[in-house]
Amino acid sequence: MPIFKPDIETMERQEMLELQNERLQIVVNQAYSNVDFYRRKFDEVGLNPDDIKSLADLKRIPFTTRKDLMENYPYGMFAVPLRDVVRLQFPLGLYGNPIVIGYTREDLKIWRELVARIMVGVGITEHDIIQVAFNYGLFLGAVRFNQSAELIGAAVVPTSIASAEVQIRIMQDFRSTALASTPSFALHIIEAMGKKGINPRTLSLKIGLFGAEPWPEDVRQVIEENLGIKAYDIYGVMELVEPGVAGECVARAGLHIFEDHFLPEVIDPQTGQVLDGGQEGELVITTLTTSAYPLLRYRTSDVTSLHTERCSCGRTMARMDRVLKRTDEMISVRGINVFPEKIQEVLASIEGIGPAYSMVVAEKRGMNDRLKVRVEAKEEILEGQEERRITLQEIIQLALRRALGLRVEVELTKRP
Amino acid sequence: MLKIKNIDAFFGKIQVLRRVSLHVGGGEIASLIGANGAGKTTLLNVISGLHPTPNGSRIFMDTETRGWKPEKIVARGLIQVPETDKVFNPLTIMENLELGAYPRHQDRATLHQEIETIFHLFPILRERKEQPAGTLSGGERQMLGLGKALMGRPKLLMLDEPSLGLAPTIVSEIFRIIQSLNGRGTTILLVEQNAKEALRISHRAYVLDTGRIVLTGTGEELLGNEEVKRAFLGKDYRGKWER
Repeated sequence: MPIFKPDIETMERQEMLELQNERLQIVVNQAYSNVDFYRRKFDEVGLNPDDIKSLADLKRIPFTTRKDLMENYPYGMFAVPLRDVVRLQFPLGLYGNPIVIGYTREDLKIWRELVARIMVGVGITEHDIIQVAFNYGLFLGAVRFNQSAELIGAAVVPTSIASAEVQIRIMQDFRSTALASTPSFALHIIEAMGKKGINPRTLSLKIGLFGAEPWPEDVRQVIEENLGIKAYDIYGVMELVEPGVAGECVARAGLHIFEDHFLPEVIDPQTGQVLDGGQEGELVITTLTTSAYPLLRYRTSDVTSLHTERCSCGRTMARMDRVLKRTDEMISVRGINVFPEKIQEVLASIEGIGPAYSMVVAEKRGMNDRLKVRVEAKEEILEGQEERRITLQEIIQLALRRALGLRVEVELTKRP
Repeated sequence: MLKIKNIDAFFGKIQVLRRVSLHVGGGEIASLIGANGAGKTTLLNVISGLHPTPNGSRIFMDTETRGWKPEKIVARGLIQVPETDKVFNPLTIMENLELGAYPRHQDRATLHQEIETIFHLFPILRERKEQPAGTLSGGERQMLGLGKALMGRPKLLMLDEPSLGLAPTIVSEIFRIIQSLNGRGTTILLVEQNAKEALRISHRAYVLDTGRIVLTGTGEELLGNEEVKRAFLGKDYRGKWER
């Protein structure tokens, strides 16, 4: 089975733990001396960076949360001078203060390699043509496919948000062999093929890389059967790298975490207690090599469990179960992250509605497909002119679309 | 080949190394760069058993060397070429080289055969073999220091500032020799202030700053690292948020 970096990906477990220990100590030294936030956190709990002597000491480091990132917006979490940063990434859809993630040239190089490891791991080679149907505007990691494919010599067709019809046409004409997209969009393509009566067996597709939203096993089955491909899960964390934290291999026994760069833990989200291998909890990640935006024990809100036995593919890197749940209220609709907090924020900025609202999600094949927001409105609006009501609905819809990057249906309801 | 974990070291009450961990893989050139006083030489001395350390572990070829006497460590093949006093000035070059083989006790025939290999590597030493080492130039002393260490058949050679005080052309010569020694199978741990030259020939490197390891990467990565450039390859006084 092909492995991009065999010396690392199949390294003896003990050796990997030693490498992680060495790198953890270095990242702690860097974070403590270069980031005021970490220095404060360490000092608050009376922890000296020199106290971190083994991986077992990791649990003494306080967690970092998204709230911390927001509070230190824009550059408070940066560990390098701004002039070393070559990319500033701004995830959309977050509520409250925004966050901005910086990457140095070296960070981007590592990221590029990690996605290349995933590609090679599922059998993509220089002979492949990868059609990338992720939304390049909303999914900041989409462009990574271009650079990582270049690294292994594969060709990329960044079809981005082209319609399903155009995507299919390109698949046929260009003879794309791999598809990278959200699983929802793959389902949409399948539907469009069905309508047009296109037999997927006439396509050249072999491999699919899907992520950016949770997708259960039965969806995988639908995609594989209807596109005639092998479908693999990829995983990333918006605040670190997405995709590129972990990916499935051909054995499909969980997603291999690139442990030479990310140190994973699973905790009980309520108590913060570290859980043993195999137990389900919240994934916490410590970056080991990130220069610009090091995160110590970052709580991802993703629910999974870890397995460290060697995989049948030969890799020794820990595997995480596929993420299908979150510890927070965030939902994913067609690959777009929606925080209820954000919806609340948008609704609060508009007069005459709220405060109570509810979200209704319409599913398609077990995946969130459409989002409807029901919000209370003043009686005078509901019983007044229809024109005014429709205008208000449109205003809300537009505001939500701008804030979330997603079309949302809006329904006005009566206050009790 | 060498694994250092959580080494602290003190001069009196002053702590000069803070839980330093690093490793050197077999066949590598690893370098340790850092400013004057960062603790580089102390770390080498700890590894060689010359400087006491209250804690941590030093595993050489899968064996813990804690508490070992320096001569036992040398006999195992972990040999340090110190920054100064690397040769015995009053002794001739021949005598210095013979002393280098001391830990291995062997017959004179093999000894001279091995000295021949050293002369082959450093022809200049052959020309001066009967001269006292004290009469050599800086570059020649460095070569003799290396030659003497090689006589001990090192598995891991630790070089402390081999470029110090040498003219630029000699510096390149010394680094070329280091590379060729590595090419013949000697693992090397190189300590240098001359970061640029050291990183150029290193497979991997660590940056030591006031007793702590603050950066690691391949030689190439660190050469391109902005932090390294600022610290070693030219000062930059701009503020953190200036572009």
